[in-house]
Amino acid sequence: MTDAASGSVDRSVQVKLVLLGEAAVGKSSVVLRFVSNEFQANKEPTIGAAFLTQKCRLEDRVLRYEIWDTAGQERFHSLAPMYYRNAQAAVVVYDVTKATSLEKAKSWVKELQRQANPNIVIALAGNKVDLVQTSPSSSGSSPSPESEDEADDATATPGEAPSASGGEPESLRQVPREEAQAYATEAGLLFFETSAKTGEGIVEIFTEIAKKIPIEHILASTRGSAGRSAGRVGGARQEVNLEEQQSKKDACNC
Amino acid sequence: MSTISTQLRNFKEPTKDQLTHVFFSIPEAPPVPAKDKEKHGSGEVETMEINAILSLGAQGVEDSYAGKLYLLPPYLAFSSLDRKSVRFTLPLSTVRRVERLNARAGVYALSLSTWHGMKIIVQLTSLRPTADLFCSLLREALKVELQRGQMKAVKGFVKTCYSEGLVSASGVSENEREDGSLITETKDGSPPPEVEFHGGLGLQFKFPGDPKKLREASKIKLWTTYLKNHGRNLTLLRYPQCTRLVQVGLPNRLRAEMWETLSGSIYLRYSNPGVYHQVLLDIEGKSSTSFEDIEKDLHRSLPEYAGYQADEGISALRRVLQAYSNRNPEVGYCQAMNILAAAILIYMSEEQAFWLLEVLCDRLLPGYYSTTMHGTLLDQRVFESLVARCLPMISDHFQEVDVQLSVASLPWFLSLYINSMPMVFAFRIVDCFFCMGPKVLFQVGLAILKINGEKLLQIQDDGGFLNLMREYFASLGDSAHPESADPRARAITRFQELLLISFREFAVITDDTILSERRKYRNEIVNSIESFNKRSAVRNLKTLGRFTKDQAGFIYDALYKAMCEVPPPPTAAPLPLLLTTANEGNQERVETRIGLQTFRVFLSEILTWARNERIVINGFQQRIDREVAEHELIVRLFYFWDESCKGSLSFQDLVYGLDGVMFNDLMENIEWFFNLHDKNKDGYLTKDEVLTLSESFLFIFRYEIGDAYLGAVSKFMTNAFEYGDSLLPHQTDGETGETGPQQIGHNQPYLNLATFRMVVLADEVLESFFETDLSASFRLDPVPDLELPPASSGFLGDLWSNIATQDNKKIFHKLSDELGKTIGKHQILYRPIIGRLTKLEEPTARESLISPSSIKTPLSGGSSDTLAASNSSSTLVVDALSNQDNDGPSSALASAAFSPMPHFRAVNAAFMERTPFAIDDAGDDDDDDSDLEMIDVDNDDQVMDEVDAFLEAHDSGLSEADKELAKDLLNASPVK
Ligand SMILES: Nc1nc2c(ncn2[C@@H]2O[C@H](COP(=O)(O)OP(=O)(O)OP(=O)(O)O)[C@@H](O)[C@H]2O)c(=O)[nH]1
Ligand SMILES: [Mg+2]
Repeated sequence: MTDAASGSVDRSVQVKLVLLGEAAVGKSSVVLRFVSNEFQANKEPTIGAAFLTQKCRLEDRVLRYEIWDTAGQERFHSLAPMYYRNAQAAVVVYDVTKATSLEKAKSWVKELQRQANPNIVIALAGNKVDLVQTSPSSSGSSPSPESEDEADDATATPGEAPSASGGEPESLRQVPREEAQAYATEAGLLFFETSAKTGEGIVEIFTEIAKKIPIEHILASTRGSAGRSAGRVGGARQEVNLEEQQSKKDACNC
Repeated sequence: MSTISTQLRNFKEPTKDQLTHVFFSIPEAPPVPAKDKEKHGSGEVETMEINAILSLGAQGVEDSYAGKLYLLPPYLAFSSLDRKSVRFTLPLSTVRRVERLNARAGVYALSLSTWHGMKIIVQLTSLRPTADLFCSLLREALKVELQRGQMKAVKGFVKTCYSEGLVSASGVSENEREDGSLITETKDGSPPPEVEFHGGLGLQFKFPGDPKKLREASKIKLWTTYLKNHGRNLTLLRYPQCTRLVQVGLPNRLRAEMWETLSGSIYLRYSNPGVYHQVLLDIEGKSSTSFEDIEKDLHRSLPEYAGYQADEGISALRRVLQAYSNRNPEVGYCQAMNILAAAILIYMSEEQAFWLLEVLCDRLLPGYYSTTMHGTLLDQRVFESLVARCLPMISDHFQEVDVQLSVASLPWFLSLYINSMPMVFAFRIVDCFFCMGPKVLFQVGLAILKINGEKLLQIQDDGGFLNLMREYFASLGDSAHPESADPRARAITRFQELLLISFREFAVITDDTILSERRKYRNEIVNSIESFNKRSAVRNLKTLGRFTKDQAGFIYDALYKAMCEVPPPPTAAPLPLLLTTANEGNQERVETRIGLQTFRVFLSEILTWARNERIVINGFQQRIDREVAEHELIVRLFYFWDESCKGSLSFQDLVYGLDGVMFNDLMENIEWFFNLHDKNKDGYLTKDEVLTLSESFLFIFRYEIGDAYLGAVSKFMTNAFEYGDSLLPHQTDGETGETGPQQIGHNQPYLNLATFRMVVLADEVLESFFETDLSASFRLDPVPDLELPPASSGFLGDLWSNIATQDNKKIFHKLSDELGKTIGKHQILYRPIIGRLTKLEEPTARESLISPSSIKTPLSGGSSDTLAASNSSSTLVVDALSNQDNDGPSSALASAAFSPMPHFRAVNAAFMERTPFAIDDAGDDDDDDSDLEMIDVDNDDQVMDEVDAFLEAHDSGLSEADKELAKDLLNASPVK
């Protein structure tokens, strides 16, 4: 597989992406879902980092993600720069059932914004969202009601959408969607709630990142130009992304 | 993360004795109960080493070897001269008889019998008196063991070892009988309760791998023979054959015992009976962050192994990991330990695994799993340098395409390859690792790279490197020479090839290589960890205040330096955790907080009046000795900044506190100083507080030249009490008709901020103090180094340049002081803190003023008049500002070279040399391997062939004549 990838110097653009986040939030599971559409209930903790690749088609372009899945435990922290150096994208993962994992995610974002490549595209992913959903209704293959929910959360009344906002399963939830969304907007991050288990939101992350990546820059292979990162105002971009997300769900076919 | 650790600075190179203990896997600090100390007068266990020739007491089994015999009570150890061919570590309690042998004149030989009747003969080749001394010490040490009752413990303990069953079942019952006749002491003791041999989950859930393919039966046979002749578990003698048998892979059932014997963890288990179970009792109901981390990973440890899909496996793993983390809280739990523990628990009992884990984390992989993981980083650096040396082409190529070796190699080392290779192969590397030590990890790593050399030269990025490695590991079971016409060559697997290359071509990598490489890079690693920690500590501050990042970094440095000098008390982990509220993020490790003592040192780094600077002039040099000042004001500052009232300060508290004073203007400074002394924060100073505040002034101004400051302070007091009194509601005292102060107590609200401000501003000196000097006395630049190098380069000057190291400095200073005193040139001045006034007056007058007596005398009333009087008579010499605005300790010394901590950065130039096994001749070497005698016959022979493949020349270090003599000794009879 290496040969195929490195041998053909076609239109594909390489994008280095790093996954960061507290231990056991599901980083490796997210990658596994994206790369081979699988889920393993008991994945071994990542030691150091794992490396995987996956192609992703976006309009006329092919992106080749080089994914670095890092170890989550605090003491591995000092190794992280080795993996995020030169990364063009990062997915910072937290676990929606664990409030502290969002704190850790925030500190990763802070570190990336200060230490990493200035043009890095960062996505925040609240994983394990399957644990806080009513299982039979939402696992039924349609992520679309979820996306609508996202778009106008405020207007959805409990009466109209009893399945999505039912009270009991939410009891496991420790990070309200709104809180994370608000933080992501403020920090200029893409934001998704995901489930590596059901596959919800996984492909979307990578698609949206692909759209946001300044591909011309990578092609020109010149880094720098700090001016571009000034557009990190967040709010406006976030909206655009949310709209696009609905239309291009299966942009990634690999 | 707000944990700051100075642990890395505490590293000490191991002493020669420690290295010897490590070499023989002897546990640190052998337990010597107090009662034994009394009995034997001296508490010190006498250790001794002596030249010796070792022979096995059974004719013709092994050659004799020259080496050294060590008495390291309660152990007797031997190593052949080459330090690898032959060695043993015998607990003295397994020795049942020692006899002096009747031999040729001039030959001094001892015969030792173990509890199971194995006889070894050591010929002591040192001079006669040395040999005599050794014998008497040995006798003493044996007696101690006997009295401790350790001799009796042996039999019970060995029942837990699989090998005992192995050797007795195959008809070595004469050993049993024989030992009965030898052991007289244990006859009276009741036989220990029947304990089954210790084993792991594998006994129940099967061992990984196909036993046929692994040739278990043949291996067991070979081992049984070996163990019969060479002792086993506690008494194992390691001859070359032992190492070779390990290299072809240990049989599953014997693995537990051999791992613990080879690694030496068996001695820990032997000398700490019941400790594991005690630890389990201790941790019952406890919780800790380590436990939480462990819980997360329990189901994520070798999940494909049946034992870890069952409750037995999971609970065993939990207990072992928790027990270890509790025993060594410094390490606690690190991901990857779960994989190691899960792996060894397949073969070992919990207790065995617990002790092996201790040996692993403490001795074999030092610092690998610590919170900084410095050991891991260090060994990665060492590995990198070894690659550069042994495989320069690969190293160059990696550098060219910017590929980092450790993206692949770090997990290899951290999980002993268990995470990288199919388990059956990884376990064989683990076998060798326990037998031959940490160098194995490096040898295997180098061999992996060498074997893949050609392909590695093609890779372009980290990803390509990892993919290549993944493919290679997946193919380890394949034939190394699939195309070969020779069936024997075809039978060699890539894994066998890997081991052969590891141990043959990289045999040059020795323990010493690793040790010296580690020494070389340690400082580099420590520095980079520390600067990383600094950056993240600064980044994680909730607020920088008005400081820049660099300034905050400087505050961090000062804090760090202070912590090195006065380490804060160990953070009582559970308490602060309980105190923090849930939303504060209790996942966060305990924050590092410093106590008052550390704070003093910290403050002396950045605050001029928090240190005393004595200028010492002795005729040869002029230098400044710095010491930490002690005063109540500093204590006050400490509690003033401790806003959360924890009795300690965090980095954030310090930044916040400094922010509150360093950016102040005149009015803010006055208010700050006022608040600092307003203990109950009611907006009023009491009379006592006014006095304390005056003392604070005197403290700050203690080294100022002239009387101006003294005058200002006394004027301040006079005015303060005057204004204070005048503002009190006037009440006329009936008897005297006076109004005022006696109406209110010394601890009643007295002076408010407005009045204080007015009093301060009434004085020019105080005003200028609050205007600029106070803020300026906090300095965030490095305090310049203390020496003004001798201006005149007399002989002391030359001497100085030769010996200028941190350690020597003190001695040198003392020397030059002494010399200075004898020639009457020794002089000490205190450096002014503010230094606005430059006229020299006699220092003694000032000294007395800050002495407690002058302050404690009632200052209210009469005595303040005297002070005021002295003020009026003294002359104020205020220098022109133009001269002074840059003034202050740092600029005064700007000319003095500031030399930061000496850097020990290793010079990489040492790696220019290239060794013979460069990648260039990889092809030829591969061909050599097919010459190995690999006969395609099944059963034992095949294993033996593999064993032979590892044959190395073993130098017994003996001449023919010596060998003859050693043989004679086998038949010698004991001396009457
Ligand atoms: N229910 C649920 N469980 C998940 C999900 N994603 C991961 N998990 C589980 O969470 C655990 C941890 O997943 P990993 O993917 O190994 O987590 P990680 O972040 O890579 O962990 P480290 O490598 O230790 O940093 C595993 O037991 C997964 O099965 C999810 O979306 N839903
Ligand atoms: Mg992982």
